[in-house]
Amino acid sequence: MGIRIGDKPYAERIQAGIENSFMRQAVSSAQGRFRTGRLKAAEELGDWEDWRTLGEEIRHHTMENLDYYLHQLSEQVEKRGGTVFFAETAEEANAYVKEVAKKKQARKVVKSKSMVTEEIGLNEALEQSGCEVVESDLGEWILQLDEDPPSHIVTPALHKNKEQIRETFANKKGYTKTDRPEELAAFAREQLRKDFLEADLGVTGCNFAVAESGAVTLVTNEGNARMVTSLPDTHIAVMGMERVVPTWEELEVVVSLLTRAAVGQKLTSYITALTGTRLDDETDGPEDFHLVIVDNGRSKILGTEFQSALHCIRCAACINACPVYRHVGGHSYGSIYPGPIGAVLTPLLDGYEDHKDLPYASTLCAACTEACPVKIPLHEHLIRHREIIVEREQMGAKSEEWMMKGFAKWASTPAAYKLSTKMARTAMKPWTKDEQIENGPGPLKGWTQSRDFPAPAKKNFREWYKQREKRRGEA
Amino acid sequence: MTVHNRTSFLDRVAENLGRERRTEVKPPVYSVQPQDRVFQGATQDELIEMLEAQCRVIHTSFERTTQSGLADTLNKVLASFEGSKKVISAGGPRLDDFGVRGIYEELAEDDFDLRIWNDQEGDVAFAEQAGLGIVFSDITLAESGTVTLFNDSYNGRSISLLPETFIAIIPKSTLVPRMTQAARVIHEQEQKGNPVSSCVSFITGPSNSADIEMNLIVGVHGPVKATYILVDDL
Amino acid sequence: MKVSLFITCLCDTFTPDVGKDTVQLLERFGCEVDFPENQTCCGQPAFNSGYKQESMQAMKQMITAFEASPYVVGPSGSCVQMIKEYPHALKEEPEWSARAQAVAEKTYELTQFLVEVLQVEDVKSTFQGTATYHPSCHMTRLLGVSDAPRILLQNVEGLNLIELPMKEDCCGFGGTFAVKNAAVSGQMVEEKAQHIDETGAEYLIGGDMGCLMNMGGCMRRNKQDVKVLHIAQVLNSQ
Repeated sequence: MGIRIGDKPYAERIQAGIENSFMRQAVSSAQGRFRTGRLKAAEELGDWEDWRTLGEEIRHHTMENLDYYLHQLSEQVEKRGGTVFFAETAEEANAYVKEVAKKKQARKVVKSKSMVTEEIGLNEALEQSGCEVVESDLGEWILQLDEDPPSHIVTPALHKNKEQIRETFANKKGYTKTDRPEELAAFAREQLRKDFLEADLGVTGCNFAVAESGAVTLVTNEGNARMVTSLPDTHIAVMGMERVVPTWEELEVVVSLLTRAAVGQKLTSYITALTGTRLDDETDGPEDFHLVIVDNGRSKILGTEFQSALHCIRCAACINACPVYRHVGGHSYGSIYPGPIGAVLTPLLDGYEDHKDLPYASTLCAACTEACPVKIPLHEHLIRHREIIVEREQMGAKSEEWMMKGFAKWASTPAAYKLSTKMARTAMKPWTKDEQIENGPGPLKGWTQSRDFPAPAKKNFREWYKQREKRRGEA
Repeated sequence: MTVHNRTSFLDRVAENLGRERRTEVKPPVYSVQPQDRVFQGATQDELIEMLEAQCRVIHTSFERTTQSGLADTLNKVLASFEGSKKVISAGGPRLDDFGVRGIYEELAEDDFDLRIWNDQEGDVAFAEQAGLGIVFSDITLAESGTVTLFNDSYNGRSISLLPETFIAIIPKSTLVPRMTQAARVIHEQEQKGNPVSSCVSFITGPSNSADIEMNLIVGVHGPVKATYILVDDL
Repeated sequence: MKVSLFITCLCDTFTPDVGKDTVQLLERFGCEVDFPENQTCCGQPAFNSGYKQESMQAMKQMITAFEASPYVVGPSGSCVQMIKEYPHALKEEPEWSARAQAVAEKTYELTQFLVEVLQVEDVKSTFQGTATYHPSCHMTRLLGVSDAPRILLQNVEGLNLIELPMKEDCCGFGGTFAVKNAAVSGQMVEEKAQHIDETGAEYLIGGDMGCLMNMGGCMRRNKQDVKVLHIAQVLNSQ
């Protein structure tokens, strides 16, 4: 699939999002629950700001020394019988996984939820080489059956309701029961249990890898990632290269931040730390373990003003706090990474050309920055993206460019400014009725489609002030 | 070869960071350590109270007993169970330390089909058919209600995963405030050259999902029910 | 105490009454208020749209206009916050950045100035009515001013303040966002207008004219009977 989803232009995607009232209702109620959960979890700790500071410091230190920690990680994995493949590109990563699958003569691959494998399009690659790939996270499984992309990085099927899910199960898997979530989940349990037991290869992502011991940590609730890493003989973990922490002590902190910020849980049902292959005297767990460390555009973010975007721990707190996301939904972003972090990351990983509208999909209200458990200044990154789009990439609309040039002249020439504020009322007169503009020209058109715009005052402030000073002088 | 493309990959990382490759990094000193403050100074009994309260949040039944009362408690928990009478249990020295082996022998007389994980063919298949899986907690986290398992040859990953009901026997002595203390133990062992087990499972109650309309569904791929039995071993 | 008024281009052009109330309010607490004539717009529309070079021209104009003032006070959290951004935005021109720093340090949002500098928590005003308060995003999250307006409003005699549901949510203004992403912005403000409606308040109070114009315009279109007031207007009500 790759990082891009859909091929519709931004404006159409946004319009489709706004018109999808079910999706908006679903997202809105989910955001409400996420938000309550996150705030409650933060409140329980009492010193959430200290936790955020620590999270930021850990991520910053790790990024500054990333080569060191990745080297250490790879050595530890090797020591524990695993194989490590450093992949510069998505193609290299996919080719390696396919090669392992081929060597193992794997026919069935079970996966647990992983954003990086979505990003590199691993499923398609494996399917092309003849493997059956089964997503086992409930949300991902629903989407896979429906051939629909994820709209959220933690709960990927957030945009679907239970009736739609029942229908998908019925059409694709012959499901005959009701749309009660418990029954739907029980059906998934029963169906997927077979897949877990039959699979030759298990593929997971990696929430965090611990450099000191070589452990790959998975943070889940359903138990599917444990199935994927306990039952098949081969386990391949794919990780974005930034997802490393120095030691178990840091791991503990970032895991605590992740579960709290993501879903308001103190810990999720399963935090599973897997190190290399199973030992000789163990019966379950993989006999063959591979760790694929993916760059795919990340290294070029290092050393830039956007480096802190790599601090992201994929908790989706920014997405859950974002009022724009609430109204347009995940698919509107045209990227598997939606919301504020998606608007920051997507142009960095996939270029500005196809994503130049994303940094503008924000009111810069900074709810994202406030929610981020590792203090990524998301709204500042969005402003910086806008500067690059305008100044370096020269992608701004011509009309806007002229307007901004005019703005600069206006705001730096007090005489022009004074004259314009004085004349504004007269200029707007043709559109003014009862001191309001209900159908404005030019840039006001969009505004006045849904709300009124006030007419400039009869006498502006500076005239009032001048007259007052004059009166005072006379008195 | 077991590590591929490392040099070129890490050289690129270092180059983008604007410096030479680093072969040494001093352990970082962080400005705050809020994780140490959670339940700081709490007694073992206070931690039990917190654990019990958290069990209500994570949909987990909580029983408290003594070493001599363990047989009765286990019997009671098993008696209330309605599914498959197959039971898979972790092995290891604690089976005898807590007298559980004897309890199992008695249970076998009550139609329970009991198997102790002993790393043989068929363990996984048995666990897949079992209705109950019983483990001993290695470290128990009061704050989150989490059972930490160092999976090894006595303690297969499948025991706590495949059966519909998950039972954890929690020695009171294993209680710590939170994940911080468990992580520290592992970190210290790593530094002493004792590598961590191939799988460390931090398990908090039964499996669950909120993937359908954000409704919490308890019991998805992993266990549907969980019971913790706290045993006073101090 | 000498204070220069930073009127903001919106208040100057659309709501001069807010400026008058700000001046009178400050004078009531012993300030000598002047109005540097050469002030224009803080530059935020260009800055937030990515036109940094263009916004820098506005910044320099504003720095020049306010350099001589001992204090600069404005009735807008967002525009004041923009001035706080100047030193960073101008960092490639160290001399300007230093001058910006000096201006930024003495610039305050109105309620912040009342509470933090003048140490006034009760402005002795009277306002009869039921109102709800929208804490604007830039004022709250970026400038960090959230207690001051609340404290001041709580002490207004006769004012019945009702908490706005989801008050921390953005109203959808976002400056040029309301123009570039007008449809999304329209949906956001519609949701906000509903929340205001739920409170049953007769008045909506806020500290940023941009947000108030957005919410007011939406409620007017909806024929919602809620009057929009800037906090300066309430605090100066006798």
